[in-house]
Amino acid sequence: MWVGIVLALVGVLIGVLIGLNVPLVLPKAYAVYTSVAVLAAMDSVLGGIRTAIEDKFDHIIFTTGFFTNALLAAGLVFVGERLGIDLYLAAVVAFGVRLFQNVSLIRRHLLKK
Amino acid sequence: MAKRSIFASISLVAIVLGLLLAVQFRVTNNFPNGIPRERTQELAGELRQLTGENETLQKEIYDLKLKLEQVNAGRQQAVQAIQSELDKAKIAAGIITVTGPGVEVILDNPKGFDPTLPAELSIIRDDDLLKVVNELRAAGTEALSLNGHRITPITEIRLAGSFINVNTKRVVPPYQILAIGNPDAMKESLTLPGGLLDYLSGDLGIEIKIKKHKELTVPAYSGDLELNYAKQT
Repeated sequence: MWVGIVLALVGVLIGVLIGLNVPLVLPKAYAVYTSVAVLAAMDSVLGGIRTAIEDKFDHIIFTTGFFTNALLAAGLVFVGERLGIDLYLAAVVAFGVRLFQNVSLIRRHLLKK
Repeated sequence: MAKRSIFASISLVAIVLGLLLAVQFRVTNNFPNGIPRERTQELAGELRQLTGENETLQKEIYDLKLKLEQVNAGRQQAVQAIQSELDKAKIAAGIITVTGPGVEVILDNPKGFDPTLPAELSIIRDDDLLKVVNELRAAGTEALSLNGHRITPITEIRLAGSFINVNTKRVVPPYQILAIGNPDAMKESLTLPGGLLDYLSGDLGIEIKIKKHKELTVPAYSGDLELNYAKQT
């Protein structure tokens, strides 16, 4: 359990370091894709934490969920752009709601302990 | 074994999450004012439109410049034509000093002639001078002067009292006539056998000298041009 948390923190740190030192900067037009993908990823991570607390953690579901959510969110933005609808708002609302749900569930579990 | 893959997936997900966060952070930091996307697109559209407009305007500028150049070139030519016409007219009217090749003709009374005698008794008469001038004109002279007085199209040469007047000014012998034109043609015309020179020097005994010059200066008409009656039609 603790090993997992430490690993996750170290992993985030490494990722941030790589991201900050990569010379490539995405153009502003792609910012909306990454922002929604980040939201989806954060939702997945919080979901993973929740399942870990509930002892239902499955790393395959977790990993696949993380990537599919992020890609789906970005894809939604892309489709929305083609159609001229702000579809990314749907992703933002959906993931935002789930984010709060996950956080509240985690809080309840922690308080029950 | 299962634990290890769990850790691996957690690390992978964590790294990717960190990467995404960092990239997003940098993108939003690079464009600090956070211009809304709709506004960006709007501005991009506007930019495209304005670029097109700019292009058409540039073409228009080019066209207009071309036209202006043509007009200017035409005007310059017209001005030049008028200027050269004016110069010719000035030379023909005798109101400017001119230089060029020509001949100098000097007529004087024969040696031994008493210089105190009045001009009406002089051997050289006004019509002798007129004949010389006429002959030079026939030989194609372009500018003439007599003792420093320019002979214009309205100049008179005539006996007035005891003097010969040119441009209402008295002239006295020796008479020096300067003529700009083809020197050879003018000299030939004067010295034709049985011509004017033979008549003046042979029959009347006038001393005549003709000199060809490569460079002569004929002065401008110095009086006022008063034209009261002739009007352009």
